[in-house]
Amino acid sequence: MTLRWPALVPPRAAGAFAAAVAALAALPALLDLSAYTHNLVTLTFLMVAGALAWNWMGGFVGQVSFGHAAMFGVGGFVAARLLLAGAVPAPIAWLLGGAAAGVFALGAHPTLRLRGPYFSIATIGLGEATRLLFTYWEDFTGGSSGLSLPIDPDLKFRLYWWGLALVALVAAASFLIRRSALGLQLLAIKADVDAAADVGVSATFHQDLVFALSGAVVGVTGGLWASYFSFIEPNDMFGFDRSIGFVLMAVIGGVGTVLGPALGAVIFVLLRQYLLASYPQLYLGLYGTLLVLIILFEPLGLTGLLLRLWRRAARRPEPAPAAAGGGR
Amino acid sequence: MRNGIHLGSLQPMLLATALLASAGLPSAASSAEARTRIAVGATLPLTGSEARVGGFFKEGYDLAFEEVNRAGGLEVGGKKLPVALTLLDDTSTQATAVSLADRLVSSDGVDFLLGTYSSHLVEAQSTVAEQYRVPYVNGGGGATKIYRRGFKYLFGAISPVELLGTTLMTWIDEQQKAGKLPRPSRIALLWENTAHGKDFRKGVSDFVAKSGGAYVIAVDESFALDGKDFGALLGKVKAENVDLFLADAHLPDYITMHRQYVGAGLCHKVVSYGARGSEKGAIEALGRENVDYVLSGVWWSAELGNRPGPSRTFVEAFKARYGGRSPEWFQALAYESARALFAAIRQAGAVDREAVRKKLAEMKVDSLLPGGRLEFPAAYGQQAQNAFVVQQNQPDGSSPIVFPKDVAGAPGVAANPRCAR
Amino acid sequence: MARFVDLAVSAVLLAGLYATMAYGLGLIYGVLRVVNLAHGGVIMAGAYLGWVLHERLGIDPYLSIPVVLASSFGLGVVTYRLLVRHLPRGPAGGPASLLLLFGVWLVLRNAAYLLFTGNDQAIRTAYSTRSIALLGSQVSVNRLAVLGIAVLTPVLLHLLLTRTYLGRAIRAVAQNADSCALVGVDVERIYTLTFGIGTALAGLAGLLSATLFSFNPGFGSGELLKSFVVVVLGGLGSVLGTGAAALILAVVEVFAILVLPSYLTAAVGFVMLVLVLVLRPGGLFGHRILG
Repeated sequence: MTLRWPALVPPRAAGAFAAAVAALAALPALLDLSAYTHNLVTLTFLMVAGALAWNWMGGFVGQVSFGHAAMFGVGGFVAARLLLAGAVPAPIAWLLGGAAAGVFALGAHPTLRLRGPYFSIATIGLGEATRLLFTYWEDFTGGSSGLSLPIDPDLKFRLYWWGLALVALVAAASFLIRRSALGLQLLAIKADVDAAADVGVSATFHQDLVFALSGAVVGVTGGLWASYFSFIEPNDMFGFDRSIGFVLMAVIGGVGTVLGPALGAVIFVLLRQYLLASYPQLYLGLYGTLLVLIILFEPLGLTGLLLRLWRRAARRPEPAPAAAGGGR
Repeated sequence: MRNGIHLGSLQPMLLATALLASAGLPSAASSAEARTRIAVGATLPLTGSEARVGGFFKEGYDLAFEEVNRAGGLEVGGKKLPVALTLLDDTSTQATAVSLADRLVSSDGVDFLLGTYSSHLVEAQSTVAEQYRVPYVNGGGGATKIYRRGFKYLFGAISPVELLGTTLMTWIDEQQKAGKLPRPSRIALLWENTAHGKDFRKGVSDFVAKSGGAYVIAVDESFALDGKDFGALLGKVKAENVDLFLADAHLPDYITMHRQYVGAGLCHKVVSYGARGSEKGAIEALGRENVDYVLSGVWWSAELGNRPGPSRTFVEAFKARYGGRSPEWFQALAYESARALFAAIRQAGAVDREAVRKKLAEMKVDSLLPGGRLEFPAAYGQQAQNAFVVQQNQPDGSSPIVFPKDVAGAPGVAANPRCAR
Repeated sequence: MARFVDLAVSAVLLAGLYATMAYGLGLIYGVLRVVNLAHGGVIMAGAYLGWVLHERLGIDPYLSIPVVLASSFGLGVVTYRLLVRHLPRGPAGGPASLLLLFGVWLVLRNAAYLLFTGNDQAIRTAYSTRSIALLGSQVSVNRLAVLGIAVLTPVLLHLLLTRTYLGRAIRAVAQNADSCALVGVDVERIYTLTFGIGTALAGLAGLLSATLFSFNPGFGSGELLKSFVVVVLGGLGSVLGTGAAALILAVVEVFAILVLPSYLTAAVGFVMLVLVLVLRPGGLFGHRILG
């Protein structure tokens, strides 16, 4: 199997992408953002990166993981420990945390041959077992008391750009993976594992690869998260709610699309802020209803909705359903 | 794949637009002149798993704010300014609590912060306060760890949970010295694996370590929250033949565990569930006769209102405001944290964060808390060290204080009479 | 020895609880191949319904069983006809069904928050803490009742599945839905009814849990996870398998305290879940279910 990168990354897309990243990088200076907004956007970047990475597994390969918080937590605590030991600068700590999370993800290897809901259920089991074990492992995670990092306002401020860099990398990776032969191989596995195996696409190898990468990125996100809050505790980091968050973001935005989860993450964060301010009593029900509506009417989430509107606006005929979006 | 390209360019721009839109949120704009009020911000779990306690804290805050505003407000710079509370719902989630604190300070422009409930939220939120140099007074985060970070702007009106364990053991020690409990006494120490439970356990085990062999911890086990079955754990306790049963659990686990405890026919000379025991809800769920003689250690009790003093004033004001209902320690701590902040503002005479911070650090005021005084000693990271009061459920339905002596309403009963059946 | 008997009794009682919780989930998965993530929500709803009946009307929880069964059945039928029916069947529908029903669970949770606030509630009857002596241990009356129902349910289910037309139709649909349509079985109706029976069993489990534990709107997620473990262990389409799996899970969890710290015994179930999925995906008693 060879990873063939596209000979030419489409110039228009690359240009638009670079422009967007530059715009976001300049945003704080351009708009004189309040500290609150600056921080909110930083958090959004982290969520976006996590959702995009989750989507590699959940959308591209089609294996919905309900246990990604495990990697998030591992990455976060490894990075936090390294930072507390003062051993390495922050970015290295985050990368090492990510690497640890990626290796940890490989531990799920035996479950990767399960399909559909069985894989998902297995990930729930893995996620919860991880949470309990790491909460018990007080020496490493601080147990229920968690770990406190020294506060570093400079680093917190600069996390905006670190987060943006992470998002840019992950978004670019998503785009490239999808357009590459690897993406096709993943699609093949998603559509029909056995047929894919028949044509020489090894499900095991590819799933391991993607799961490890996905886990590693989510682990890096965890590290940045730890630096942001200067305090992490296992029940929060490894919690089922966090795993569900990744799933929700990707589904709302569009599971399986290239950048849909990014949109989903943004909406998720904004919606949360808005709902908490105005209708705190209803936000669970609203998410639930949104989820139900999306599954029933527009499985590609907001991306699918936007695609439909785009087509209608451009007066293009709708392609046959089988060719739409990311296939099933 | 043409659509893919369009999608590729559409998405980042959408992202940018969405973020730009959210950037349109108002930035902080608090003018120094023409100040019409003092703005205090806080978050509380008003929905979510801790909503019950969040609601109680809100009651305490509301009462304090109403009282001070009824008197016209706080006197600063020669005139009286009303105090306004902006209260947001943090749903007991760390990220939300931090974001909202951020927003309160940098977007809504509050002058001071009051705390939320539960140690891990306070720990996370206090980093925001420290970063922005905003005095943050809380009555909801008892873990000592929070106050060991050298923060200058964080003040805890809530005594460390370890002290709860220590206080219980002190009362138990008195009983042992009076010959009512065996020496050595075997202890079963069961604790919920949360920051609260860990600290409780530390308080007890530290005391035992210094007791010179008067106690032996025969069982030392943590359990996961919201357990369904404590049969095995209680079986272990039974097998170890202990004298004292000391557990720390939050309400649902207390109910489940104690039901099984009673159902299993267990009975020990001393039974305690940490801060639990006297709640009405629990008594209803378990049955009056099953919680007899259970000891609980709390930061404050309405029983303290039985004697004249600030507690009584508080209890009466609370009952008047909330339809005859009695307050518990949640409302008292919230009320007291707000009042401490008000006192500091009054003493500073200005809505100036540094001045108020200094006054809080030096504070020594009368308080309804046990001991009668409230301070934030620097030696303890600015966490109050007020004693706990120990209550014991009596068969007649009351829960008088049995320790410390000076506020006790009844002598405590050791060697649980329930076991004599 | 007494310790051993104590633990064994504890395990059997716990098994009863686990089995009751798992039947509904297993039935729905066995027939519809849909993982009912709203299972936890229905358990919670059953608990609250029992509580409301007890608080407002003074009805003893065991007497309100028929009401709870019927209401949960209705809830299931409505959920199926409105929502689940539209999902694609088979492996393609997997993630979709998970997410759809998860959304339903969120809505149920929110409804409970709005109606009852997040406070913990409990049902207390005269016999809540009463226990009888059995084999040298004290056994809670409520837990015995749960055990009794746990044993009775598979018997009734078995009778339903083997002696009635509906039951045979359900089994046929579970084996091969397409062929059933060919021979004139109204497959959609069977699905609807099965889903309803599954949620009815979940509601019953919730009611029974409410007699034992306190609960709040977040109740049900732990139960759901344990039910997964039981259903996976027991394999599909095997009611007896579910019962046996519940027993095995309970025994392992309870006896684990002899070797593990109490806190970690909570992880035992999850580890077993993963092990079984990986080593014997068909469950300990079922058939191979890969692919």
